[in-house]
Amino acid sequence: MTHPLLDVRGLRVRHHVPHDDGGHTLGAPAPDAVDLAVAPGEVVLLLGPSGCGKSTLALATNGLVPHVLPAEVTGTVTTAGRDVATTRTPELAGDVAMVFQDPDAQVVTGSVLDEVCFAPENLCRPADEVLARAETALRQVGLWERRGDDPAVLSGGGRQRLAIACALAAGARMLVLDEPTANLDPAGVEEVYAVLRSVVGAGDRGVLLVEHDLDVAAAFADRVVVLDGAGRPAADGPAREVLTGQAERLAALGVWLPTATLAGLRLRAAGVGIDPLPLTPDELATGLERLDTAGRLPAPATAVHPTAAAPEPARDTVLAVDHLTVRRGGRTVLDDVSLAVGRGELLAVVGANGAGKSTLAQLATGVLRPRRRDVAGTVRVAGLDPRRADVRDLTAAVGFVFQNPEHQFVTGRVDDELAVGLRARGLPADEVADRVDQVLDRLGLTALRDRHPFWLSGGQKRRLSVGTALVCRPEVLVLDEPTYGQDRERAVELLDLLTALHDDGTTVVVVSHDMQLVAEHATRVVALADGRVVADGRPDVVLGRPDLLAAAGLRPPPLARATRGLRDPAWRAVTRLADLPLTPALAEVGR
Amino acid sequence: MSVLDLRTVNPLVKVLGPIPVMIYVVTTRDVLTPALVGLLAFALLALLGHQRPRVLAAVALGTVALVAVMTVSFGLLTDPATVDDTTPLARVGPLEVWSGALATGLATAVRTAALLLLVLLGGLTTSGADLVRAMTQQLRLPYRVGYAALAALRFVPRFSHELEVVRGAHRVRGVTAGRGPVGAVQRQAGYVVPLLAGGIRHAERFSLAMEARGFGAHPTRTERVVVPFGARDLVLLAVLWAGAAACVLLAASV
Repeated sequence: MTHPLLDVRGLRVRHHVPHDDGGHTLGAPAPDAVDLAVAPGEVVLLLGPSGCGKSTLALATNGLVPHVLPAEVTGTVTTAGRDVATTRTPELAGDVAMVFQDPDAQVVTGSVLDEVCFAPENLCRPADEVLARAETALRQVGLWERRGDDPAVLSGGGRQRLAIACALAAGARMLVLDEPTANLDPAGVEEVYAVLRSVVGAGDRGVLLVEHDLDVAAAFADRVVVLDGAGRPAADGPAREVLTGQAERLAALGVWLPTATLAGLRLRAAGVGIDPLPLTPDELATGLERLDTAGRLPAPATAVHPTAAAPEPARDTVLAVDHLTVRRGGRTVLDDVSLAVGRGELLAVVGANGAGKSTLAQLATGVLRPRRRDVAGTVRVAGLDPRRADVRDLTAAVGFVFQNPEHQFVTGRVDDELAVGLRARGLPADEVADRVDQVLDRLGLTALRDRHPFWLSGGQKRRLSVGTALVCRPEVLVLDEPTYGQDRERAVELLDLLTALHDDGTTVVVVSHDMQLVAEHATRVVALADGRVVADGRPDVVLGRPDLLAAAGLRPPPLARATRGLRDPAWRAVTRLADLPLTPALAEVGR
Repeated sequence: MSVLDLRTVNPLVKVLGPIPVMIYVVTTRDVLTPALVGLLAFALLALLGHQRPRVLAAVALGTVALVAVMTVSFGLLTDPATVDDTTPLARVGPLEVWSGALATGLATAVRTAALLLLVLLGGLTTSGADLVRAMTQQLRLPYRVGYAALAALRFVPRFSHELEVVRGAHRVRGVTAGRGPVGAVQRQAGYVVPLLAGGIRHAERFSLAMEARGFGAHPTRTERVVVPFGARDLVLLAVLWAGAAACVLLAASV
């Protein structure tokens, strides 16, 4: 019998919650009584709603929990025959390797080659063996030619491939990846999975993958282990069996499903039997084609597409960017960008990492004020020049929500955080209090109003950061990658909030590379590549151009990929789950 | 790699070797000794340093400009009473310029320039990683200390980027902590919490990544790049010290 590479039995972790007096109490257990084994050649996908202890479990596989991050651990973790509880983490580096979410926080050295050599050097391998291992690993991830470069100049996907090369060079047969693609653009996600496939293909390594983006991961996994909200095991079995066989149950647990599976569930609810339930866009496409051939494919619900009702762009322009060119450090970041955002639009600015999206957003809101000679062209937001406008006028014109909410917190209390912009504008105290109460209520933060913003949870911080902009009732709300590093649940919660604001008449500009979220919510999409606008139009039009998106380092969202081969033009325009046919009766009416 | 390439010389020689010379330069009072030492350092850098012409030009012009500025400002600030046996040269408003004051200023400026050039001799031809390697290999510095220092250096660009973002954030949030120096201090204090929180989180993730890659598994680690300390390094050290001694003798004989 093959020895499992990783064997977790009855694992239960309670983190130490530190107190001011130096003592600590124990947090709620998560994970709680979980068994999990990974055999050579196997890919195990670990799923669960946020806070269920997925990352904690990942960190327990090489003893970072509890040896580095203090916690009370019961149960056993055995890797390559060694008990993790009694082995120091660095000594396990040759058995278990980890790839973390943030590519920046795992670069240790100044060159790609040094980086890959770091682990085998620490493990005291002879120098010639270190080099041989580094070369093999770098060639496998396609970075050998870039061995002399500083890791900082690699793309996000490149840095994650480098992290995988580091894992290979360490000689570890067990790879643990904690949301490795959460910060990557679609092209980067593809790169990482292509490398992972080749790594697993050899059959001697095992992978434990924590991932929320299942559109690619679902087809990659052999087995799925699901935890419930309290960290207890909820399901364990072959990936397809669990994800499609128990799809409704998983969705009820708050586990995000692949878009194709969600689409399949929706079709079933509308009385369109699609069998088997699809996991990938390709499978969904096959299922839809089969229905189409059988004449059982109803018309999509495209009639209720919001873009049809969207206002004509530029009828009443609130944000106007005119021939804007910006240079930073000798590089042209934005190149002759022109853009007019009309009142009431929900505009998504998409593009690969480094395409200039954030720079555009920061310029439009006055966060970035480059020197005059580095800028050509103009920006006007609600008639103001954000470079020169008085801050008090600017907060009423445009609100900016930062990628990292902590960057924008300036006070020590949640309610003060909301009030600060209003007080700066000199509003009377009772009006300030009124508005703050309203926003607290709307965001569900009333009970937390006296907390320090830094002590909120990730999702609460995100909501508060939106609130700080919202409370000033700006004409335009600009959000820079609001879903960056957030799990799917929080991302959806935030996008729902934005949609509600948009429905109330606020103009929203959101910078993102999450194509399905963009497809679901935006009324207009602008795609940037290398600082230039390469596409501008309705989401179904822009997202239906795979060639154009690919040139911008993007991919069509999963649903668009599944529908683009269908015969019916109405179906080819389907990019959103909301476009799928409604209940049978309504679908009949729609014809 | 030529034998005469400063970049391949052991970093300890380049960084620690000039220190006795620097100490001597600090004790000099004349202009000629530090000037000769400075010229020697620049000559070594130019001939053996393999620097790009632009860098060398910047070093040369920068040094000259530094000497000029320091000479004039010291010349203006020196108390005329201490140099009243010399010639007064000019009077600018309440300030008087005496030749003795200028001479003192020039000596101070040339000493500073010589020290700067001696530091640049090692600084421009050594990478941080090589210095750490040499210190762990020859000086037996524990590798954990050396690599921790290197890692800390890698945080700097990240912090400066974060600071820029936080500054922009505070400005557009309408945080106006008042004007003048008090306001400036309040503003800076406001940046501390977000920067510190971000820094601590980054450092924690970073240390997790390092431990997961076996950092600290053993008391020693493989040094793939061996930084040798050989005859060539001793020769360079001897050349440097002999050259400095020659400068001193030459200056004394003039």
